[in-house]
Formats: sequence, structure tokens, C-alpha cells
Amino acid sequence: MSYETIVAQAGLADRIGKNRWPARLDILQSSTGLFLALFMWGHMFFVASILLGATPMWVITKFFEGYFIFGASHYWLVSCVVAFVAVVFVLHAGLAVRKFPINYRQLRTIRAHAAEMRHEDTTLWTWQVYTGFLLFFFASAHLYQMLVWPEKIGPYGSADRMWSDGLWPFYLTMLLAVELHGGIGLYRLAVKWGWPDAPREVLKKLKWALTAFFLVLGLATLGAYVKIGYEHRDHYGERYTPSWLVDQQQNNDAAAAPQAAPSGETK
Amino acid sequence: MTEPVTHRDNAPDPAERKAPPRQLTLNVLRYDPRNPSVAPHLQAYKVEEADSMTLFIALSEIREHQDPTLQFDFVCRAGICGSCAMMVNGRPRLACRTLTASLPDESTLAPLPFFELIGDLSVNTGKWMRGMSERLETWLHAQEKELDLRRVEERMDPDLAEQIYELDRCVECGCCVAACGTAQMREDFVGAVGFGKIARFRLDPRDERSDDDFYAVIGDDTGVFGCMSLLACHDVCPKSLPLQTQISFLRRKLATVG
Amino acid sequence: MKTIVTDVLVIGGGLAGLRMAIAAKKRGHEAIVLSLVPPKRSHSAAAQGGMQASLANVAKGVGDNEDVHFEDTVRGSDWGADQIVARMFVNTAPKAVRELAAWGTPWSRVRAGDREVIINEQKVKLTERAEAHGLIAQRDFGGTKKWRTCYVSDGTGHAMLFTTSDQAIRHGVEVHERTEALALIHDAERCYGAVVRNLVTGELTAYLAKATAMATGGAGRLYRVTTNAVICEGMGHALALETGVAALGNMEAVQFHPTGIFPAGILVTEGCRGDGGLLRDVDGHRFMPDYEPEKKELASRDVVSRRMEEHIRAGKGVPTRFGPHLWLDITLLGRRHIEHNLREVKEICESFLGIDPAEKWIPVRPAQHYTMGGVRTDHTGQSPTLKGLFAAGEAACWDLHGFNRLGGNSVAETVVAGMIVGEFIADFCDKPENSVPAPLSLAREFVAREEEKLSLLLESPGRENPFRLLSEMQQIMTDYVGIFRQGDALLAGVAQLQGLLERSREIGLSGKSRAANPELVAAYRLRRMLKLALTIAYGAYQRAESRGAHFREDFPQRNDQDWLKRTLAFWPEEGATLPRLDYEPLDVMKMELPPGWRGYGAKNYIDHPDTPRRQQEVEALRAEMQGKDRHAVQDALMPFADKLPAALAGRNERIDEPLESAK
Repeated sequence: MSYETIVAQAGLADRIGKNRWPARLDILQSSTGLFLALFMWGHMFFVASILLGATPMWVITKFFEGYFIFGASHYWLVSCVVAFVAVVFVLHAGLAVRKFPINYRQLRTIRAHAAEMRHEDTTLWTWQVYTGFLLFFFASAHLYQMLVWPEKIGPYGSADRMWSDGLWPFYLTMLLAVELHGGIGLYRLAVKWGWPDAPREVLKKLKWALTAFFLVLGLATLGAYVKIGYEHRDHYGERYTPSWLVDQQQNNDAAAAPQAAPSGETK
Repeated sequence: MTEPVTHRDNAPDPAERKAPPRQLTLNVLRYDPRNPSVAPHLQAYKVEEADSMTLFIALSEIREHQDPTLQFDFVCRAGICGSCAMMVNGRPRLACRTLTASLPDESTLAPLPFFELIGDLSVNTGKWMRGMSERLETWLHAQEKELDLRRVEERMDPDLAEQIYELDRCVECGCCVAACGTAQMREDFVGAVGFGKIARFRLDPRDERSDDDFYAVIGDDTGVFGCMSLLACHDVCPKSLPLQTQISFLRRKLATVG
Repeated sequence: MKTIVTDVLVIGGGLAGLRMAIAAKKRGHEAIVLSLVPPKRSHSAAAQGGMQASLANVAKGVGDNEDVHFEDTVRGSDWGADQIVARMFVNTAPKAVRELAAWGTPWSRVRAGDREVIINEQKVKLTERAEAHGLIAQRDFGGTKKWRTCYVSDGTGHAMLFTTSDQAIRHGVEVHERTEALALIHDAERCYGAVVRNLVTGELTAYLAKATAMATGGAGRLYRVTTNAVICEGMGHALALETGVAALGNMEAVQFHPTGIFPAGILVTEGCRGDGGLLRDVDGHRFMPDYEPEKKELASRDVVSRRMEEHIRAGKGVPTRFGPHLWLDITLLGRRHIEHNLREVKEICESFLGIDPAEKWIPVRPAQHYTMGGVRTDHTGQSPTLKGLFAAGEAACWDLHGFNRLGGNSVAETVVAGMIVGEFIADFCDKPENSVPAPLSLAREFVAREEEKLSLLLESPGRENPFRLLSEMQQIMTDYVGIFRQGDALLAGVAQLQGLLERSREIGLSGKSRAANPELVAAYRLRRMLKLALTIAYGAYQRAESRGAHFREDFPQRNDQDWLKRTLAFWPEEGATLPRLDYEPLDVMKMELPPGWRGYGAKNYIDHPDTPRRQQEVEALRAEMQGKDRHAVQDALMPFADKLPAALAGRNERIDEPLESAK
């Protein structure tokens, strides 16, 4: 029992000083959203490296595993990044869900409202609710995979996941959801905080351009992984090793007994 | 001085006048909360369109010639008082300022959502606005010093006065709240009208309240931190108030004091 | 019977009503305001152009003071005004503006330095003084010698109403919205409150109060084309009239505003002409200088409206299928000015005409605008014949406006009278002898009577349609009791209105609901409106002269000899079809400004026998006191200082009249 809790229980908390939490939570919701959106852009560029070839993608993967710093892959580094993103994600989801319709009556009202109003920003927000709801499950599942099996990331590993594991519909859905959610989210951040201070039409055009760009990039990337996965279906589980490393390995093999290559894809 | 333009510029086009008047259909959502046994229903009224006919004229005609029980509110019928906001084809508008020429052959009229329904198209915006005013204390807060009315008034920068008036033009019609997605889900949301008022008094140097004081009334999820920035308020405001910039400005200011 | 007891019952939630309620509340009395609509929707909001107060801040206002404002007001009234009241008013107007400034009204302010304005079609450079920078600005309005109209862009009434309404909320003034008073509760000597109908539920309640204040605005809806809001049906006037004891003063004085948008009658502000806008005819010719070489478009409203109709009669109107109209040209003011100082006008033109007034002319024709007549009160705002009944604003005949009100004096009157009468109401409530408990039996009797009237109406098998009768009445008033009046036509109008009143007793309703029922409301209001229409028409018929807005073609002269008197109308018999008219003479010998030529309009009048004598007296006194302080001269001519409530007494400071030196 403290003075504060006694006052709060009496419903008088607002009378003894302002509650800073609403401001903080709103900033937190915006900043976690901003972080996630920017992270998703970076993430998209990383995975899209497959479009440049398997080796560039492998290099980026290895980079995040610390291979070029430590000379060996430390998958827990990836897990750490994933864990951090997961925390931000959960935080963001938790804060955002406060704004969602919380019962059927509200859902029905907002749906009817959006349908009758035919107001673009309102409609966009309902898409955010739907995509956010999807991401709640999809992104969680994906994050869990990446957290637990970070070593499965790689040109073949990721491609196998698409084709042989049959997850391409999962990723296609998530791609659409993420790009819409993130694009609309960034636009709304801009109008919400008034920065950049550009007319809404301009911001909206920019938003659609970005969404289109990342969707095209994402679809191409997904296509590339599906193609690789399809071609690689008979070698499921085999990990990718760049040719120069293969040569190097063969040299090493000649020198010593075969050992696990630094490429980290497990069987 | 200015070369007089000929009056013909303004006169209605004679060709236009010969066209037979349009037959308008207005589907009005009818419901009387004091008679709940009759479910809400759409009733169709047909009106012959006339030159520069507004929804005020059309609805008055319906009441006078077809259905004297139809309820709606008009006061100034000149777009000044904010009484006649209603949902016209799904969006809130001032009916008196809606020219039927801007409507399709068939339109739907419904009461503003969110506000207490009195009957048919009539809603109790006044009651809600008074509550909002009391809650946000939308009056100038100045020391209750004995005002010497004989003295010359205090000065104010002319530009600032104009800026304050710009925000003071709100007519409390309720369009912004009816258009607000947030308000549809949160009954206790103060709405853009409330934010506009706070922005207006915040701008006024005669008001002695600080941002801490404003935070106390709108610094939570029923206020500026609950707003989801869907900005339908801005897009439907009949007075074209700069609600988008005012709300984001308030949010930035109050987030920093929070 | 449901009963609510309070100290002050204010009927009407516009500027005058709210200001009276605030005054009473600040003095410690409970106040309840009844309002047909939420108070911020009141017709006060429609006053666009501004309110007159002689602050003398702008360059063109230098030299303005109460004396000039007083003379403009009295000349504008065509000497029909009560000059003591006019003095009280002009002395309080600056205080009212300053009070509103302190309450938050964003008055437009003076910007020091050069600016370009349009005066009489010419671009003129004005230099505003540095010492006036940031003080409240004034613009030009019709019938004034100086620029005196304080304004908030062209949303003055809106800004004032919102400020005042917010102050009422601050002071906890209770407002009972969507309620309508149906009858005043009285015993022929004292008023005790009103029978009030809830417009949503239909329930009747007796409101009992020490003081009942009428602030219901005007009765424009008696006419077909009016700038007035649809709620301006004169119900306050009618309620007072129906007591049979309280009088309505000067009901035949009806103002037509020169610039109602054609054909809807929506107002475009006098500020358009004040800021340099012109009136043009079918040929694009600017015709006002032909008629009024001195004041041109800015003569008083009655004169400009008449000249416009005269010009239309001369075949110079623009023909349309709705009839002829003229043009208001504000294109010469420039887009910037229109978008900053006349933005409501711009919005109205865009919304209702689909034109851009910066590029095209606005079709206009005079439309009914203001009811000078009202509940006759003394200078304290109390009815001289029904104690405890007060009135202020357009509903009152206080009598500030006489037979023609100056633009900018109405919205000023609402707050000024609200302040003054509010103080007197508080004084009234302070007196122990006025705290008599209202007899409950009387209240019950009045409620029962109204209940019965409603029942009869609802159950009536009659076949008359209230909406049809209403539009017939509006047409009769427009045709026979408009800008130009004529004995035979007025008599015909009276007869037709009497016929309508008879027919209104045969109204049958299609909906039988006692709760929210627009047809029922139209029906009971119509009967009251017909009584007012008859009061106006009959008063106009009897007044065989032309004065201010009342213009008789068969008696074009102002006749001070026979008609320098106020019409008082009573309606003692419920079943009657005509009011009883009495006349209250104005005493020339007590006037500060004896009757003369107004300075515009026809120079055509018959003097009152006392006028030359009083004129001599006044001139002699002025000569005698030459060089003396203007306040001293005024006080010698017509003392009024003792008439003002103490809280509102005192001189007004100006840049050129510092308060210390004035003492």
C-alpha cells in the first residue's frame, strides 16, 4: 500500500499529477512501427540479394552470422537480432491492438463506417487492421522459425523452405500484408506527427510508389527463391557453398579430413 | 475603374432552362427512438428538382407537401449555424449547403452517427457539444481580475487575431466526429472539434493555460493520443478548418510535455 | 405538473439571452435559458459584418465618439428611437466590445502603416497610426459618419456568439435546449414564468421565476423572402402579445436588407458595400449615386432598399423567371480582400450560387431582415405594463432603432442590452419584494390551458393545412406589407390575414403524436404568427406617414406633427382578429437631437410644433457652453448618467481621449 495506489484505487490518480503514459505509449507505438517498417525495408533488400545471385545472398547471410569478423558462423547472433525484432514486434502489436475494434459491435460499426464513407484514409486503416491481424500470426510464426533455426537462412535453405517445405503461399501472404501494413503505417506516421510536412496527396503518392516498389521487389525475390527451390527440390537440405569456397574447401579437403564447411546449412 | 462584365455571364443558360426538371429520389433513414416497435427503415421520397435547389429546400418541400412527420433540423439554412449536418450518401455534410445538382438521381440521407438520435435525421449535437465544452473547458481562461471596461483594450497582433479566427470558425456541426473512425469505436473520444478548440485557445495569448493544463484534458487515449489520424475530419469539415496540421501540432507539443 | 423554479428565466439562447443570463448568474442569481436550438446555432451567429462601437482606432474613425454614434443612430431611426436609450447604448457599446475582447473574441486588429482600400470606386491609400497598431479595427457601414463597425472578418456574430456561449458554460448557466415557451404565466400584473414544451418529448413544464426575460429575436419568417433563420418566427413577440397586458411597440417597422441573395434571400453582409462594393443594374450601371449623391450605396438600409426597388420598378432590374434582381459587384475589391475579410460571403456565393464573387457579380434584391418592433420596455428592459417581464435584443422595443436600425447596431444591441438589462434584472431579483412565490395554482391553470389547446389541435377534424396557410401568409405579407406600402393594399392585406386567422382555427393535423411533431409545431406557431402579421399590417395601415423603413406611397412625408409617436399593440381578446392600437408620444422637448433631415433619403417631412422651439433651446445651450467638455454639453442637453447601472457607467477611453484627462 502506498499513497499512490490508495489515491489511484479511489479513482483520483489524475488529480495528483498528470499521467505521462498515454503520451509515452503513443510515441512508443509510433517508434516501434517506424523501426519495424525500416527494418522490413532493410530485410527486403537483404533477401532480395538473391536476385543478384546466390553468392551475394550467401555473403549477406554470413555477414550477419559474423563469419567475416570471427571467421566462423555464430547463429546466435542472428537469433539475437531476431529476438530483438520479436520484442519490438510484440510491443508494437500490443500497443496497436489497443486501437483495434475490441468487440463485434465495434467491428461491425467500423466496417459499415468505412464502407459507407468511402474515405481513402479510413479504408487504408481498415486494411492495416486486417493486415496487422494477419501479421500477428504470420510474423510471429516466421520470427519463431528464424529465432529457433537461424542456420536455415541461406540461398538453398530459404529456397527449400519456399518450395520443398511448401511455404511459398505463407510468404506470399505475409509479403502482401507486410508491404501494405508498413507502407500505410509510414504514411500515417507522417500525417500523424506532421513530418515530413508535405501535402497529403504527395505523401500518399510517395507511399504508393514505395509500396509498389517493395511489392515488385518482394514478388521478384519470392519468385527467385521459388525457382531455386524448385530446381533444388532433389537436393533438399543441401546447403549452398560459393564456388570459390568450394575450391578452397577442396584444397582443404585434400589437406585434411573432410570437415563441416563454414556454410551453415544443416541437413 | 473595373470594366463592367455583362450580366449575361451570370444569367442561367436558356438552353439549360428548357431541360425537363429531374425527378430526385431521396431515401431517408427513418426511426423514432420513442417508438421502437417500428424498426429503422428507408423511406423513399420523390421531389422534382428546381433551379439552385438545396437539400434544405427539398426536405422542406417533402415535409410541407408529402410527410409532415419527417424530422430534421435546419436553422440558418445558409451554412453558418451547423444545425443540419447529416449523412448524405454515406458522408457527413451540411444539408443546407448541398445543392441537389451535385447529387445523383437517387440519394440516401441518414442521421449523423455517434450523436444521440432524436428522430429521423435529427440528432442531438448540441447536448454532446456542451458536454465537450465543459470537459475541455473551451473558454478563455484568464485571471478573474476586475476588468475595467472603460480602458482601451489590450493589443493583439493583427496576423495572430486572423489566425485565431481561422480556428474559431468551427460551427460545431459534428461532421468531423461523425466522419471519425476513432469516435465510432470510442464513445468518449473528444473528436476533431475538441482538438480544434484546444488548438484555438492554445494559440490565444489571452489564455493563461499551459501545455500541462491542455495535457490534462486531452493527453490520453480519449484525446490526442487516441486519434488514429484517419483525417476524415479534415476532409469533411464544411468550414475547411486545418484540422490535420492542428492535430499533429498538438500531438507533437503534448507528447513532449508528456 | 412538472415545475422548475429559478430566479431568472431567459427565453432565447442567442447573444442577448446568454448575456442577460451571465449577468444574472454573476450577480448570484440562478438563471435558466430556454432555447429552441443549441444556443450556438442561434440566429445571432448570422450577423456577419460587425458591431458598432465608437472606439475610433482606425484612421477613418478618428474623431468618432459616443456623440457621433448617437446622432447616427437617431438619424438612422428617423427620430423614432428613445434618445435616452440610444445614449445608454452608445456609451456601453465600447465596453461591450472590450469585454468580449477580454473574453476571447478574436476581433480583427489594426495594422499600422499604409493600406489600400476602395472608397467610391477609387483606390485610396489609408495610413493607420502606429499608436493604434494591434487595437480593434473598424470598417465602414451604411448610415454612419465614421468607420465604427468592429468586426471579426465577416463572421462577427459567430465569433461573438461562441465567445458568449462559452462564457455562459463557464459560469454554469443552465441551457434547456430544444424547449419552447408556449405561454407566459401571469396574473395581468406580474409575470411569473412560462409554460414550456419539450420539443423532443412533447412534455409540458411550468418554469417559475422572479424575472422572465424575452430574447427570442425577430419575426422574419412572417415574410416569404427573408434573411432570417427558420426559427425567427417571432414567438417571443407573440407570447407577450397574447398576455393581453404587455405591449408590442412599432411592429410596422420592418427592415429590408438591400443585399439578400436572389432568390433565396440568404444575406450577404453590408460589409460588402462598406468595403467598397457597388450596386449595378441590368446595364451594369452603378445607379445609387443617381439617387443618393452623398452616401450612395452607404445610405441607411431603408433608403438603399427603397432605391433598389424603385430602380427595379423603372425597369432596370435583371429579368429572370423568379422576377427581377440587381447586381452587387465586389469584384473590384480584389481576391485577397475577399478571401480574407469576406470569406463567409465567398463561401455563400460558392455554395448557393456556384459563383466566385471575386470574378462575378452577385444577384441581389432586398429581403426582409430585421424586426425593429418588439416587446415594449422601459430603459431598464422591463415591460411597463407587465412587471417581471423583461426583453432585450431584436425581440424588444427598448427602443434603440426606432423605424430603421443601422447596420452593425443590432448585434451591438444584443450584447449591450444583454449587459444593461441583465444588471437591471439582477437588481430586480435582489429586491425582497420581488421574491414573491409564484402562485402554483396559477401555473397549473396555465399549463392546463396549453394542454387543452394542444389537445384540441390534435383532435381537430379541420381540413386546413398549416404549411399551406403559412405560405399564404408569407405571400400576403410580401405583397401588401413590404417595402412600399399603400393604404388600400394594406387594408386588403389585413382582410386577407384575418381570413387566414379564421381558417387557422380549422387546422387538422395528419400526425397525432404529442412528442416531436413538426406539423403540430407549425400549427400552433402559425396562429401566433398570424397575430403578429396582423399587428404589423394593421399598424402599417394606421400609420399614415412614412418614417424609416415604414414607407407609405400615399403618405410619403414623415409627419412629426401627427406621428412622432410609438405604436403600442395589445391583443386582449383571444378570439379577436385585430389588435388594439395605442400610441405613445415622443417628447421633442426632451430630445438631445430634435427631429430634422437625416442627411440622406428624401428631404420631406412635416415638423412637430415643438421642434423649432427645442431646436432653438439646443442651439442656445450649445452656444452658451461653447468650449466646454463635450460630456458636459451632453449632460446639459439630456442627462442620462443616472439611468445606467453603476457597473456600466463611466466614460470610454480612446487613443485620442485618455481617461485621466477626460475626468
